[in-house]
Amino acid sequence: MSSLYERLGGEKAVNAAVELFYRKVLADGRIARFFDGVDMEDQIAKQKSFLTMAFGGPNSYTGLDMRNAHKRLVAKGLNDSHVDAVIENLDSTLRTLGVPEKEVREVATLANSVRDDVLGR
Amino acid sequence: MTLSPGETVLEALLRAGVETPHSCRAGQCQCCMLRAIDGAPPEESQRGLTDAQKALGFFLPCICHPTAPLKVVAPDDAGAPQEATIRAIEPLSEDVVRLRIETENFSYRPGQFLELIAEPGLSRHYSLASCPEEDAFLEMHIRLHPNGRMSRRLMADLRSGDKLHIAGPRGTCFYEGVAADQPLTLIGAGTGLAPLYGVLRDALRQGHRGPIRLYHGARDSKGLYLTDELQALAHARDFTYLPATLDTGGDVAALALAAEAPRAAHTAFFLCGGENLVKRLKRDLFMAGASMKAIRSDAFTPAG
Repeated sequence: MSSLYERLGGEKAVNAAVELFYRKVLADGRIARFFDGVDMEDQIAKQKSFLTMAFGGPNSYTGLDMRNAHKRLVAKGLNDSHVDAVIENLDSTLRTLGVPEKEVREVATLANSVRDDVLGR
Repeated sequence: MTLSPGETVLEALLRAGVETPHSCRAGQCQCCMLRAIDGAPPEESQRGLTDAQKALGFFLPCICHPTAPLKVVAPDDAGAPQEATIRAIEPLSEDVVRLRIETENFSYRPGQFLELIAEPGLSRHYSLASCPEEDAFLEMHIRLHPNGRMSRRLMADLRSGDKLHIAGPRGTCFYEGVAADQPLTLIGAGTGLAPLYGVLRDALRQGHRGPIRLYHGARDSKGLYLTDELQALAHARDFTYLPATLDTGGDVAALALAAEAPRAAHTAFFLCGGENLVKRLKRDLFMAGASMKAIRSDAFTPAG
């Protein structure tokens, strides 16, 4: 059986999703402040790698990377409610792109699996 | 260095003990990016890079299986400095001068920047306003700061015929990957006009057919420069020149955003100027629907 990443459309799907997802995240008053002063091109590359991981695509995800990348944000108050907001935006991005409900839930489950790493627990 | 069968460039570099930043090893995070200055990296290894980066030979070593020899350098390597001769230093406005220099074999794209080395320990980055196909010189627009070391050196000591050194070029703010029929919008403030002037002339030379708009912002009318040339060029070549000065309520970023937001999704943007201006425009245009790949920018950070 093909992977979730392939079923969603592989790299093309990630490319289609990344800008839409990031636009939603930046417009979300609950989490936008965590992106203040962040270089957007850099951030888009990171979102791309996050989405590739969330879609179960090729990456060599290590919890350590996630922990280090978010340490500064945890110090700024990043908590479960913000992770919820990010996953909500991810859901709505996928729905906008017409991804079937079953896959949307699978992606949310994958994204949820890195929650503890992101929050440094 | 010879690669083992099946080995990627990144794996070979790490095996040889060459320190190379990397993370995903799957062509996603782009943190291992290198540049080939000799030989063409396989297309597959340039996946996800911008057209400008591809044109400069950038590639991702973690997904690179080369089929022919490559000579690679770190992405920010500007190469060895070379000698250049000053041809002109002349005022463009009260506090901006035009510097023209000549050098041998310096290949660049209009809108890129170079490092100007006036003496050991005194160097600055300046954008190129010239076009290699049309100009025999390299042209830079330099804002004079009363206490700036480079400014003082340029005004007090250097004359036509004097030598200095340059290194580079660098930067990806040039006309590449723009469709000929796409709207092209150039927004800059102060000497941010320099790279935009280069890009504009390059686009016209390459036969750009879509509508072109050039916004140039300054504090007051004395801060605008090249106005006659731009007006004449706009008249002759059919593009829109939109100068804006703060003292008359013309905040260039606000004006440009209001006009450009409705068509942002289809437009190619070039943004040049101070860091705050560039960041604000980049973010707001992206939020208005512009694709990140269609926004090229060059932000200046002031030096003493």
